[in-house]
Order: sequence, then C-alpha cells, then structure tokens
Amino acid sequence: MGYKGDIYYIEQILAGNSNSFSYIVDRHKDKAYNLAFRICGNHEEAEELAQDSFLKAYRSLKSFQMKSSFATWFYRIVYNTSISHVRIKKKGVLSLEDFPADATDFIGSNTTEEEAENEYRSSLVNFALQKINEEERGLVSLYYYEEMNTDEISDITGISKSNIKVKLFRARQKMLEIIEKVEKKKLIYHE
Amino acid sequence: MNNLEKHTDDLLSKYITSERIEKAPEGFTSKVMTLVRLEKSHLVYEERSWKKNLVPVLSIVVTVLLIVSAYLIPSGKTDPISNPVLSLIKTLKLSFPDVNISSIFRFSLPSVMMYAIIGIIILTVFDRALFRVFHREK
Repeated sequence: MGYKGDIYYIEQILAGNSNSFSYIVDRHKDKAYNLAFRICGNHEEAEELAQDSFLKAYRSLKSFQMKSSFATWFYRIVYNTSISHVRIKKKGVLSLEDFPADATDFIGSNTTEEEAENEYRSSLVNFALQKINEEERGLVSLYYYEEMNTDEISDITGISKSNIKVKLFRARQKMLEIIEKVEKKKLIYHE
Repeated sequence: MNNLEKHTDDLLSKYITSERIEKAPEGFTSKVMTLVRLEKSHLVYEERSWKKNLVPVLSIVVTVLLIVSAYLIPSGKTDPISNPVLSLIKTLKLSFPDVNISSIFRFSLPSVMMYAIIGIIILTVFDRALFRVFHREK
C-alpha cells in the first residue's frame, strides 16, 4: 500500500486511530534520526531524541495547522529538541588527536579499502561537525543531508534567510579548516 | 552565492552527500508506537478520572445553588410559580401512624424512624444506580 500523505494519516489519528501514527513514523524516522545524530553526535542519544520528538509531535498533533507542511513542523520539533539537549549537556572539546590517523583504522574483517575510505570520510565529517556549535551543526545537516533550501531551513529554525547564509558560510569554513588539519596530520603520519 | 562561498560549498560537498544519511535503527517504529500507546492509555486514564469526579462535582454545584438560593429568596415571600406548589404542600395533612414495634421487640421506636429507614433504602438504591451509570467501563 502506497503512502497516502501526512495529512491523511494525521486526520486518521485525530479521529481516534492512533495506529496510523506508525505510517508517519516510518516515513520520517530516518531524516529525524539523522538530524538528531548530526546535532548530538551520538547514536544512542540520537535515537532517544528522535523518539522524544515523535512523541512530542503526537501529543501536539491537535495544534498542527493542516495548511502548513507536516515535515517542516516536525523537523522544527526535532531541531529544537536536539539543540536544547546539547545545550544542557555540553560536552568537552574534542582534540585532533581524538580522530584516527587514516582509513586503515576503519578496515574491518569484511570491509574493502573503498568501504573503509568512505567510512573514514563520513567519520571525518562527523568529527568536524562536532567541532562546530550545535546551531551550525543543525544548519549544515538540514542543508547538506536533508537537502533543504534556505527558505525551508528558515521555517524550521526561525533564523532569517540572510543569517542562515552567513552562519552556513562560517560553518563550512570551520569544518573545512578542521578537515584540512586532519588530512595534514594524516600526511605527516605517513611520511 | 559568491565565488568563495561556492568554493567552500563545493569542497564540503565532496565530503557530505545525502546518501550518507544515518538511518534509524531496527525496530525504531515499534519503539515509538509502544510509547504512543502508553501515552494513549494515560490520556484514557485522565478522561476516566475526570468522569470519576463528576458525581461529587455535581453534588457540590447543586448544594452551592441551594445555599445561594436560600440566601437570595426572601423569607416568607414566594414567587408566583412556586406559590401553587407551596400552597398544595401546606394543605397536605401529614400524619405518621404509630407502628407498634413493642409487640415484636421489647422497646419502642419513634414513628418517624420507619420512614427514615425506608428513605435510606431508597437513597441506597439510587446511589448504586448512579454509580453504575457514571462508572460504566468503556
């Protein structure tokens, strides 16, 4: 059975069929989990944050205006929940030494060199993400992973479009600096 | 997007692709639905507890209304609607017959006691009936 659209299932839930919520969860779980993970940087916490966000959405479904997009409304919940969580639970600053020297550290018993290289790149981005602040992490995640434009990001975060552009630019620069430093460290390690 | 922005965007895009999205773990949906069902039962419980308090709330409201009306209606005066009813009650000549309990037991009770007991039994029946109406399981 094909997905009938968020509004259809929301109406079902409001009519008393709470099981319809599972369709909405299935539809949005990956993006919600990914956004929470990029902001908090931890799989266990990301799962809890995504679950918490779904529960918050379920509780306040009555207040959802059917005219607007459910996805935007819901990602605003995920974004705010994750940002507040990280602000409360500030972690220690990561140093460059915390990151593995190169892709060989990612080679397991069943992984090819290419898979290890991909894993290395993905971890490097995660590492760089954790070095920037939580707000910038959210913006980078929405822009690159969720492929949203600045209008959509503005709706979710409540930050103006021009401010998003500035913050994204700074975040990109910071991340690239970190990535370059790690790559340099990798070169030194191999010399 | 200016040249510098474009350059940094292109560089970072090499590392970040939407295909690298982190997927929710197995069983995520069922975990959320378990939480939702718990939430639902909590809401049902809240509704029931409100219904549970309906009878005392109604009793309090009626009692307050009676007390307020007792203060508001001047003594000795009646409105034209209640007047015929009151006059009818006044014309009723109630008498309580003596019940000779002493023929059965070795003591005698005031004659009003028999009526009080009957009244208590009727009220108990009403109480049980109302309890069933307001506490009916859904």
